[in-house]
Amino acid sequence: MRRVAIVGMGTTKFKARWVDKTYFELAFDAAKMAMEDAGIDRHRIDCAVYGIYNDFFQRQYQPDAFVHDYLGLGLKPMVRVNSGGATGGSALRIGYAEVASGLYDVCLVLGVEKCNDCYNYEVRTTTPEVLRAILYTADMTYDNPAGRTAASGFGLAVIAHREKYGNPTEEQMAKISVKNHFNATKNPIAQSPQIITVEDVLKSRKIVEPFKFYDNCLYTEGASAVILASEEVAWEMTDKPVWISGLGASADYVIPGNRPNIYTFDSSRVAAKKAYAMAGITDPIKELDLAELHDAFTGTEIMAYEDCFFCEEGQGGTLVDNGTVMPDGELPVNLSGGLIGCGHAVGATGIMQTYEIALHLRQEAGERQVTNARRGLVQSIGGTLCTWTVCLVLQREG
Amino acid sequence: MDEREREKWYQYHHEKYGIPLEYLKREYEEELSGGGLIDAPLEIPDKMDVLYKYTYGQQSRFFRELRENKKIYGAKCPHCGKVYCPPRAHCSLCYQRTEWMPLKGTGVIKACTVQYYTTSTFIKKLPFVCAYVQLDGTDFIMMANMEVEDVSKIKVGTKVKAVFRDERHGTITDFYFRPID
Repeated sequence: MRRVAIVGMGTTKFKARWVDKTYFELAFDAAKMAMEDAGIDRHRIDCAVYGIYNDFFQRQYQPDAFVHDYLGLGLKPMVRVNSGGATGGSALRIGYAEVASGLYDVCLVLGVEKCNDCYNYEVRTTTPEVLRAILYTADMTYDNPAGRTAASGFGLAVIAHREKYGNPTEEQMAKISVKNHFNATKNPIAQSPQIITVEDVLKSRKIVEPFKFYDNCLYTEGASAVILASEEVAWEMTDKPVWISGLGASADYVIPGNRPNIYTFDSSRVAAKKAYAMAGITDPIKELDLAELHDAFTGTEIMAYEDCFFCEEGQGGTLVDNGTVMPDGELPVNLSGGLIGCGHAVGATGIMQTYEIALHLRQEAGERQVTNARRGLVQSIGGTLCTWTVCLVLQREG
Repeated sequence: MDEREREKWYQYHHEKYGIPLEYLKREYEEELSGGGLIDAPLEIPDKMDVLYKYTYGQQSRFFRELRENKKIYGAKCPHCGKVYCPPRAHCSLCYQRTEWMPLKGTGVIKACTVQYYTTSTFIKKLPFVCAYVQLDGTDFIMMANMEVEDVSKIKVGTKVKAVFRDERHGTITDFYFRPID
């Protein structure tokens, strides 16, 4: 396999609504930025991978074809991937394979999502209709008629974890919300930069037990793109390549009855283990300088510490209390603000997380820069109770 | 648009999408009265909609038993002995055909939460319990429709029984679970 580098990247702002752009127009903005960053134009792209999650959001089946057209990439090969919240991670994985295999030298990996055209006319807001669109991804015969949401699925997992290990506590979860909203204040693309207190989180309205309003990420519109290149051509395009040095993926049984338990996410454990093995990492907390973990909910960020082997199983809550994951801690998590602070533009999210880590590795993260960052982890998860996980280890040269 | 054209616009979209007229007026009155600049983003009502005559395939008997006989059936693998409910025609681990097996319709809550927010379709039902139930005699958990007066009384370990509705359609909602007192 050939080495694969990120040689260019771009992202739109993550916002609740881009009323003045369609999904393919958002994709265009991110793609243009990424090409400019790599110093290339569309002719230099050999192939593309698009991460787009929900066709109901876009109001279009096969939206990838319209993105490809709008980017002027006609006759170049292209494929769209969709693995729920892990769509961005999966797109990166396929893009990596395109280049590492030697099939192509330059691959555009682009994620886009535009959810908030869905609208509930009665309550005059988007979210219940967005959730209705998402519920078509639950088993249509047995699960969909129960009216559950992503929050109730992950809520069940967090409750099960708490019953088994006594954490994450309400306070630990609230601290994650405070941290990620605060981190977002340093990130110019973030949707929800806020200085809030643990008290604010605890007092916010209940959404789904054990999550309150501030424990949840928001639905976001945006697009993020990276350009992947083989080692041979990478140095022509950048003097700061960011190498994908580890990649792991796993897809668990979607029907929870087929799993041994719901208090760990085994797809995350398998994916992280594989990514670390490939990158030669044996002690992640020492060998990683920062991580972007999929914090769709505060409690699942804490579970992710365990699933990514930052600590022993059941010990996730202690990394919050001892400050390890805080901005000035040993292993800062979600300096972008994560899904909670920066936003969750589903298909784009995994690519936004990658963009964030790459910014640090290029020493371009401004106020939130991790000093001398060398290596970072991206965890991209999705589906009922974490069906999919993709983990990437990113590393700068030297 | 003049008032007559606007009324036609409301009527057309009301009939096409089923959105009540008052909601349409609330959202679009300003735009249709000429409130939008020519270069400003234009939003329109729309809907994605498909009708089906869906086949349950090899799971059909499960739904006939619900509808006709008020019975819940599981599917047992003759090789490993695992009992699936929701049923499946093949054991996914042994690749053997499963056999139908009647269940008692009682079970236990293995995981549960309370929803205070949900999708458009279920908003009027809030708050409600979202739970995984393991039916007695099965090795599986299933997402359960629960109907309970006091959502705070539902806990892991609560014993439940299936109650069949008078009107049944051959869908999983032909029954729901209630705690056994």
